[in-house]
Amino acid sequence: MSRQTVRSGDPRKVSAELFTLTYGALVSQLVKDYENVDEVNKQLDKLGYNMGIRLIEDFLARSNVGRCHDLRETADVIAKVGFKMFLGIVPTVSNWSPSGDEFSLLLDNNPLTDFVELPEGQSNLEYSSILCGVLRGALEMVQMEVNVWFVQDQLKGDNTTEIRVKFIRRLEDAVPVGED
Amino acid sequence: MADEVLFEFFHMEIVGQFLQSARKDEKESAFTKLEFLGYRVGQRLVERFTKEVPRFKDELDTMKFICKDLWTSCYKKQIDNLRTNHQGVYVLQDNKFRLLTQISEGKQYMEYAPQFLAFPCGLIRGALSNLGIASNVTAEVSAMPACKFQIQIQRL
Amino acid sequence: MAVCVAVISKENFPLFIKTIPTENELKFFYTVHTSLDVVEEKISNVGKNVNDMRELYLGLLYPTEDYKVYGYVTNTKVKFVIVVESSNTNLRDNEIRGMFRRLHNAYVDMMCNPFYTPGENISSKPFERIVDSMLVQD
Repeated sequence: MSRQTVRSGDPRKVSAELFTLTYGALVSQLVKDYENVDEVNKQLDKLGYNMGIRLIEDFLARSNVGRCHDLRETADVIAKVGFKMFLGIVPTVSNWSPSGDEFSLLLDNNPLTDFVELPEGQSNLEYSSILCGVLRGALEMVQMEVNVWFVQDQLKGDNTTEIRVKFIRRLEDAVPVGED
Repeated sequence: MADEVLFEFFHMEIVGQFLQSARKDEKESAFTKLEFLGYRVGQRLVERFTKEVPRFKDELDTMKFICKDLWTSCYKKQIDNLRTNHQGVYVLQDNKFRLLTQISEGKQYMEYAPQFLAFPCGLIRGALSNLGIASNVTAEVSAMPACKFQIQIQRL
Repeated sequence: MAVCVAVISKENFPLFIKTIPTENELKFFYTVHTSLDVVEEKISNVGKNVNDMRELYLGLLYPTEDYKVYGYVTNTKVKFVIVVESSNTNLRDNEIRGMFRRLHNAYVDMMCNPFYTPGENISSKPFERIVDSMLVQD
């Protein structure tokens, strides 16, 4: 590049921002398009789900992770490998349920929400719903049906961001019905 | 810091989503919505990206910035060819456009190639707009995954 | 420490302006408004000392009896104006540059809020906090 200038950050960082800025623009647009915030949350979740079912292949190819034997292993891989690879952060796995079928991912910071300031009256917006969908879709591809939802969100003023994952059941190896 | 691949997957999903929710006779609206998203992102990216860059000398200097710095940051390579008629029309050629390489494998997505170019058109328009240049940006696929972006500067 | 901080859009209307508590806010608004002409003049001085022209920081725009007015224009043609008291001789050029840098960073972050529409008045609390930290505290 012939421009001998100091840029505001290295190009990699800018391209990382391409995703978060595009995501933000989409959320903001959906909020304008849909009167009902629940509908926005659903759309974001669905988007995430569709992304997740593709992202898992990329993840498995790049991470060389073997088959997980139980939910604890899965949780660790999600936090230490998955989140690290795609978002550059490593959430803490904690708050296991007594039966061991539910856990939380605690995020100190969420790259998706850098610079985001929720407008007044949007407390029902789950801004980062896409993450729930991605986890759900990705895990379905490895034969796990899960429910994923936000318990706490720093964007709303909570101390931390907490995503809860609940294992529902193991899926048969049949091709799962795609969600449209 | 979000991984680069996230944007590619995400872009593909939103193109699909907008196409699906557009009625059969309204493929245009999918294009318009995607273009507008690109526009907003272009405005914001350029605000961040030009924070510590010296002032641009002129229009051509700005175009070169788009073709080199901005393009590389977003699409991992520079524009391959920049032509202008020196009368406000610029043609940017990318011989292997990153957002088209995803779909150039299978023929089933070919008819949607224009929609895949909507966001990038908006990105250019938004970037230029925030740098004080009003424009109209269109794109066409020459031979997958090569494409051309045509920028028509609007002098007010 | 400033007595007035303003952000002006590329179309020259104010996006944000905050002053120290004063009965005569209008005086500051007028000062900022007047400074825009000087800003335009400075950035359109083509050919004179090409290197200087490419800096975003414009330096001292003009002094009045009681105040000094400094300017800064981003590549996106957004103007920042900072007014300080003339009597404040402790304030060095470096510090003024530092204030503009912080202001610029805060502005860029604010711009990247997906719920902020470019061109709108700035109502961001985090942004306002940064500005507050630059204004003279009593």
